Amino acid sequence: MWKYEKKLEYPVKIKTPNATSAKIIVSQFGGPDGELGASMRYLSQRYTAPTPEVKAILNDIGTEELSHMEMVCSIIYQLTRDLTPKEIKESGFDVYFVDHTNGLYPVAASGAPFSADMFQSTGDPIADLSEDMGAEQKARLTYDNILRLVDDPDVRDVIKFLREREIVHFQRFGEALRLVTDRLDSKNFYAYNPSFDVKK
Amino acid sequence: MNDRQKLLKKVQMYSFAVTDAALFLDTHPDCAEALAYYNKYKKLCEEAKKQYEQAYGPLCIESEQNDARWAWADSPFPWELSAN
Repeated sequence: MWKYEKKLEYPVKIKTPNATSAKIIVSQFGGPDGELGASMRYLSQRYTAPTPEVKAILNDIGTEELSHMEMVCSIIYQLTRDLTPKEIKESGFDVYFVDHTNGLYPVAASGAPFSADMFQSTGDPIADLSEDMGAEQKARLTYDNILRLVDDPDVRDVIKFLREREIVHFQRFGEALRLVTDRLDSKNFYAYNPSFDVKK
Repeated sequence: MNDRQKLLKKVQMYSFAVTDAALFLDTHPDCAEALAYYNKYKKLCEEAKKQYEQAYGPLCIESEQNDARWAWADSPFPWELSAN
């Protein structure tokens, strides 16, 4: 189970609303490499992880991703406050606004809604952890692209924090993959699936 | 930044150190150095949380600050500008 703490993992305080920025940052809520998909990926994969360390890291990174989803949503919530219909129209935020007003809804910047198609849970720890390492890099590059497009230092500061966490998670998943492969047949890692097959 | 925000930031700093150390310990459960670091910041985090809750209300739903009056549902909520 989970318990909520009434605080963000890292402060979000955006002084100037900017719907154009919100329109691209929403991708890290509901986009293909966003925080919702990240948390659901790890929290789904953890059940069949083969060792206690791997169960723990999937559980705890999946949990941290929920707090990152909350931070991304806080950025969007604060960026879209006090906007006039004219500002909404001119910023291009109108295509989101028409369906959701200022409500938070998980979509990619392109408008495609969140889907479980964005992640896998294969029941094979080598495949899952390899996907997880790729997912952290994809989230990192998305934050890099956001930093290329957004000038506001209040937003950039939070995005930089989130970007750094992707790098740390990539490192931890790399260690988890190593823990799994160390216990396999070094001549053929794929001889059996340690979460499914019984080793002879 | 007002006094409440300053104290909240202290809680967030210590809490982050604890979160980060916990992830490292998940893949290095026998690392005594990391465990000592974790324990140091866990203690500082608990003290800062207690100090914050006594002055500004509950951070967790089981807080003693809810005993006399249900303060959990008070503003601000974490995503609001005034909370940060």
